[in-house]
Amino acid sequence: MKVSLRSLNSSKARALGISALLSTAVGFAGMLAFGGSSAAAQQATQQTSVKEAKSVTFTQANAPAIVYKNPPSSLIPEGRTLFIENCSTCHGIDAGGSSRAPNLQGLGAATIDFWVYTGRMPLEDPTVQAVQKPRKFTRQQTLAIAAYVSSLAPGGPGIPSVNVTGANISQGQSLFSTNCAACHTITGVGDALANNVYAPSLYGVGATQIAEAVRTGPGNMPRFGNGTLSNAQVADIVKYVLYLQRPQDPGGLALGHVGPVTEGFVGILIGLGGLMLFGYWVGGRAQR
Amino acid sequence: MNKRVEKTTEWLDERLGIAKGGRSSLNKIFPDHWSFMLGEIALYSFIVLLFTGVFLTLFYVPSTQQIIYHGSYAPLRGQSMSEAYASTLHISFSVRAGLVMRQMHHWAANIFIAAIVVHLCRVFFTGSFRKPREINWIIGSILLILAIVNGFIGYSLPDDLISGTGIRIAFSIVESVPLVGSYLAFFLFGGNYPGNAIIPRFYTIHVLLVPALIVGLLAAHLGIMYHQKHTQYPAPKRTNKNVVGTVFWPTYALEAGGFFFITAAVIAALGGLVQINPIWLYGPYVPYKVSYAVQPDWYMGWLDGALRLMPSWEVVGFGHMIPNVFFPAVLLPGLTFTALSLWPFIEKKITKDDEVHNLCDRPRDNPWRTSLGVGILTFYIVLFFASSTDVLANTFNTSLNLVLWTFRVLLIALPPVAGYVTYMLTKETEVVEEAGSRRPPVVITRSLDGEYHSVPVAGDEAGGVVKEEFEPMEVPEEKEYESFMGGVASEHRDKDLVGVGESSSKGGGSAFHDEIGPSRSGGSGIFRVPRNLPGSGGLFGGRGSRRQRRRGGQDRQ
Repeated sequence: MKVSLRSLNSSKARALGISALLSTAVGFAGMLAFGGSSAAAQQATQQTSVKEAKSVTFTQANAPAIVYKNPPSSLIPEGRTLFIENCSTCHGIDAGGSSRAPNLQGLGAATIDFWVYTGRMPLEDPTVQAVQKPRKFTRQQTLAIAAYVSSLAPGGPGIPSVNVTGANISQGQSLFSTNCAACHTITGVGDALANNVYAPSLYGVGATQIAEAVRTGPGNMPRFGNGTLSNAQVADIVKYVLYLQRPQDPGGLALGHVGPVTEGFVGILIGLGGLMLFGYWVGGRAQR
Repeated sequence: MNKRVEKTTEWLDERLGIAKGGRSSLNKIFPDHWSFMLGEIALYSFIVLLFTGVFLTLFYVPSTQQIIYHGSYAPLRGQSMSEAYASTLHISFSVRAGLVMRQMHHWAANIFIAAIVVHLCRVFFTGSFRKPREINWIIGSILLILAIVNGFIGYSLPDDLISGTGIRIAFSIVESVPLVGSYLAFFLFGGNYPGNAIIPRFYTIHVLLVPALIVGLLAAHLGIMYHQKHTQYPAPKRTNKNVVGTVFWPTYALEAGGFFFITAAVIAALGGLVQINPIWLYGPYVPYKVSYAVQPDWYMGWLDGALRLMPSWEVVGFGHMIPNVFFPAVLLPGLTFTALSLWPFIEKKITKDDEVHNLCDRPRDNPWRTSLGVGILTFYIVLFFASSTDVLANTFNTSLNLVLWTFRVLLIALPPVAGYVTYMLTKETEVVEEAGSRRPPVVITRSLDGEYHSVPVAGDEAGGVVKEEFEPMEVPEEKEYESFMGGVASEHRDKDLVGVGESSSKGGGSAFHDEIGPSRSGGSGIFRVPRNLPGSGGLFGGRGSRRQRRRGGQDRQ
């Protein structure tokens, strides 16, 4: 026995020791981490329920879920100047459209605000889907342009301000999975849809922009009007989308929330790949 | 050895006769090579799967009964969902260590199947499936199928939006089988989709039926390997009729045991540090809801890819249309697994090779098999990557259609190219006799006529080793081994050589004399024995008198 044990070479003995240590350590770390996080989660949910209860008592009943407001008409002159300088080349001075760009009259302030404030307008390349980029105008300038365009013709929703405190997040999840997940994916990361068309990621988008997109249907997105989704329902969706941007996310590194593609990548390359390296270390080499 | 251990083993031996089998098992020789560890990764991750799976069954409720969720995850509170999904949320948020167990289970499944596939590639490319190992190859193929099936079913059990869509696809695939499809689908799902039966049925299959089959076949897989003895790579003094390697106890057993802990550690690390399948973000499955970008787990990727790449052809035969999905989702895997399981016989048909092979082929030494294998593997790898067309298009900001068509072209074009390149590479690296050996030094002289003569350096005719330049490094000798192995050998020789492995070795007795003894090149713990000699050294080794006493005892019974 003594004799045979000595035949184990030192690297293998080291492998055993280290592996046993490693597994114990990781096991304990995992247990502790999850013990802690589940307690934290419970605390968090308690807090949110308290918050919800508060919101029910204070902001309550008659506070509307969404208020649509047109920007003040005092901004129209500034907006007119900005529009002529930056937009009229394609949309025309009276926003009546041209062969290059659509008619904006009667679309309402929400549409203008969405396109300009997310940086999609002014457009970079009219042949492809408008991309979100650093915005060119300040909030005030954006409102001014919206004020000018919405003053040209009546119609279209004003700029929504969403009351998310009173919204129901669970209702929002259900509505989101019915109406939005089919393109934006259930985690809101967005995805490629068809030839050069994609559903953008919902991360980093503000409450107003989400509501504007739902109500006005920019680009390929369908428009969800009052008959389809009530204001309260839109507010629910907005609340859930804002939640998705920073979700309760236990379990470690989130891998981009794109599902099994990255999981398979990690499982094969890091999981199996790492184990193969360990195997190469523990096992023997070819002998000559 | 400890007195108590000795007493216990003796007690057991007097009742169960463990000494005979136990000794040969403990002294079993396993060839030691890192590529032989790949199957072990699969085995060990399966053990982790069993342990974590048992934990999960304590909390999971296999039922599609709709309930209103009142658990701790706020964004789903008040929603109607199946008990299966609610219990998975409960495991993830409220059961202590539930999430780490769930994630370990899922990572272990991903690694389990990945290890099986890599192990399969190792066996294929080294020709280790050839006679006498055809049966074990078939068992291995069945194990792969079972692992994939059980992986898919396990992935479906949480009944979340993503996996529910997967079940929907599975239903349609079963339906697409000509003639019997709809009957088969209704039989499996207990009626039309979605029904209430599928989750409980999947549960029974997942925790009872398939694991039992896997355990049984795994035992057969290992038993056959034990009986036939492991293959080994060709090396000096390794022949078709011996096994050179490390002894099971203690060297190999501790090495393998340590590797089990490493495997468990890597899986635990992934389970603790990297999120997998955050089902709470997916929401409960409702048949009319769908999320874009639904991928299956990686091992189903090639089937998903095949579904994506299949052109929308409609094939009509005998007045019936064969559903389009039948070809990529039923025919392709059917042909794949049939060809895979029967490969040893297919190859035998081509090569007409009916010899017993206990030595592995080096992949480069069998160019046609290696290049064919690489070509076929490339085909499946392209299919695999095709399952992420949408993610690739989105990540690299390019058109989904472009990505799809690129994969269609690659699927046809890449396998032959990969096969051809592999063929050229294997031809290039094939073993050439004499290659790598030192050339004998010569003295070149020129005569007065201008004629050249080369004469070997005097005194260096045998091999021409220039001793001053190349002195091989000293290898430490393991004296203890040698001394006690001599004892075992002399005792074993007559009895064991006519024993177990007689049929596979004719003239093994004469080879025995030359081959026993510590290896010159190998480090500690490596020595050779003839293939049919079960023991030489180890736990009971070197105790001749003790052996005889045991034998005597057995005779008396």
